[in-house]
Amino acid sequence: MPAKLVVEGLSHHYPDEYTGEDVHALDRVSLSVEDGEFSAVVGPSGCGKTTLLNILAGLLPHTEGSVQVDGKEVGGPGPDRGVVFQEHAILPWRTVARNIGHGLEIQGVARSEREQRVQEFVDLVGLSGFEDRYPHELSGGMKQRCALARTLCANPVVMLMDEPFAAVDAQTRITLQEELNRIAIATKKTILFITHNVDEAAFLGDRCFIFSRRPGKLKATVKINVPREKRIWKDLLSEKAYTDPRDEILRLVREEVFDDEE
Amino acid sequence: MTRSSEAAPVKKPPSRQWRRFVRGGGIELMLLIAGILVLWSVISENIPNPSRYLPSPVSVVLSSYDVIWKGLLPNYIGQTLWRLVIGSAIGLLLGIPFGIALGLNRTVSDMFYPIMNFFQSISGIAILPIIVVWWGNSEKTVFVVILYTCFFPIAFNVLTGVRSTPMILVNALRTLGASRLRIVKDVLIPSAMPHIATGARLGIGYAWRAVIAGEMLAGRRGLGWMIFTSQDADLTAQVILGMVMIGVIWIMIDRFALRPIEADTIQRWGLVQR
Ligand SMILES: Nc1ncnc2c1ncn2[C@@H]1O[C@H](COP(=O)(O)OP(=O)(O)OP(=O)(O)O)[C@@H](O)[C@H]1O
Ligand SMILES: [Mg+2]
Repeated sequence: MPAKLVVEGLSHHYPDEYTGEDVHALDRVSLSVEDGEFSAVVGPSGCGKTTLLNILAGLLPHTEGSVQVDGKEVGGPGPDRGVVFQEHAILPWRTVARNIGHGLEIQGVARSEREQRVQEFVDLVGLSGFEDRYPHELSGGMKQRCALARTLCANPVVMLMDEPFAAVDAQTRITLQEELNRIAIATKKTILFITHNVDEAAFLGDRCFIFSRRPGKLKATVKINVPREKRIWKDLLSEKAYTDPRDEILRLVREEVFDDEE
Repeated sequence: MTRSSEAAPVKKPPSRQWRRFVRGGGIELMLLIAGILVLWSVISENIPNPSRYLPSPVSVVLSSYDVIWKGLLPNYIGQTLWRLVIGSAIGLLLGIPFGIALGLNRTVSDMFYPIMNFFQSISGIAILPIIVVWWGNSEKTVFVVILYTCFFPIAFNVLTGVRSTPMILVNALRTLGASRLRIVKDVLIPSAMPHIATGARLGIGYAWRAVIAGEMLAGRRGLGWMIFTSQDADLTAQVILGMVMIGVIWIMIDRFALRPIEADTIQRWGLVQR
């Protein structure tokens, strides 16, 4: 089976508007994500993770290299690639239910079918009872569940997530990670998840892509051989199949960070 | 006091409106207004020739008998309100789409921003003289001034609102496959709503001043015209009556027409905290 998402030789340069200096953000990145695979991208701050995601999402045009989703070259944003942003990306003037159903509304799905699908995802992310609330009435964690449900509900081929849990507190974060894992199992989605948190990457990912510091290069790929069903924090912490690759990733990332500081 | 004790003296529980009135500082406001009226009366009692310089509140009402009871005042108010409603309705209809259209493109909006800012600073009263030169003392002149006065604050605020829409919301919709029109409808307009409401309130507020000024110079009938002609006829009481009416009517427009619109949308979305 061909991979759902294929990136080949992708480089990116930002022109600096003020100094005219060129910022080399991504350097010949090649990677692929299989159908139904949960992949995590880890790397130090400023290594180009968000740049990569914006290019994959089609929000940033790419000039060097290629990006293909389901065999088609990416040329702009589209509903085949759903994005969950770091924060504040759901519309404050829409209720939870109308935010979640927004993608379907755009696709022109009939109201009755839409409502049914929305309810399904409201339940899946645990927002039952909050359908008619506005975002400002929700906690940070609930807002992210809503954003996640909105993206899932539009049924994209690939889900792109940029540090979606970075802005919530540690306890909520753990809960959301376990829930995302459960949801990924239930929906069998192909996911590319960006984080700079090594534990998070190792907990969620089937495979982790480790990036070097800027210009971001794919430095290593680490597989995590723990069945998804067994990924529960309290069991995993003493599981060698989790801790070994986690330590390996940590070592790889640290090299980059310390290099950066010398 | 329990409901079952029939023998107890019947004391009606205060109604909801009354409690809201009290909690909102209504009593204090009434006392303040009464205080101002008393102060006004005292001053008026102690100056020479008050009927020319400052008639007391009571005599304002009494000596305005003609305009109040013969129906002239309602007629004038109607005339002024009619001009305001038509003028600002056209101002809103033109100003909102214009502001949105300018805000869609960064280059266009950067170009127009200072121009809009320039025009919204020149009040309607300042352009009145040249409009009179162009169109004379006609009804047209009054409407042009109202339209000018409300158009720029409305368009300028809408433009500011569209420009300040968080890019992430636009991007989120683009990744859901939204068309440009859909982004305007679902993101830019709602996001600009607080600014649209501010622009409308400001624009209509300025227009209210402009209509009075316009009527003084160019109109026939209306509150501004009444103030102006009363002064000519040395009817100070009517001048003051006109001034008070201007303020009272504005407060009613703001309270019953403009603020509910704001509350209905923006507050419910949590975009402003009250
Ligand atoms: N619009 C831009 N113009 C110029 N340079 C940019 C722009 N966006 C990002 N950069 C630069 O490109 C590099 C990569 O940025 P990017 O946001 O992709 O990093 P990141 O890995 O997501 O970092 P973080 O973990 O802090 O979010 C950084 O050095 C940044 O300064
Ligand atoms: Mg980033």
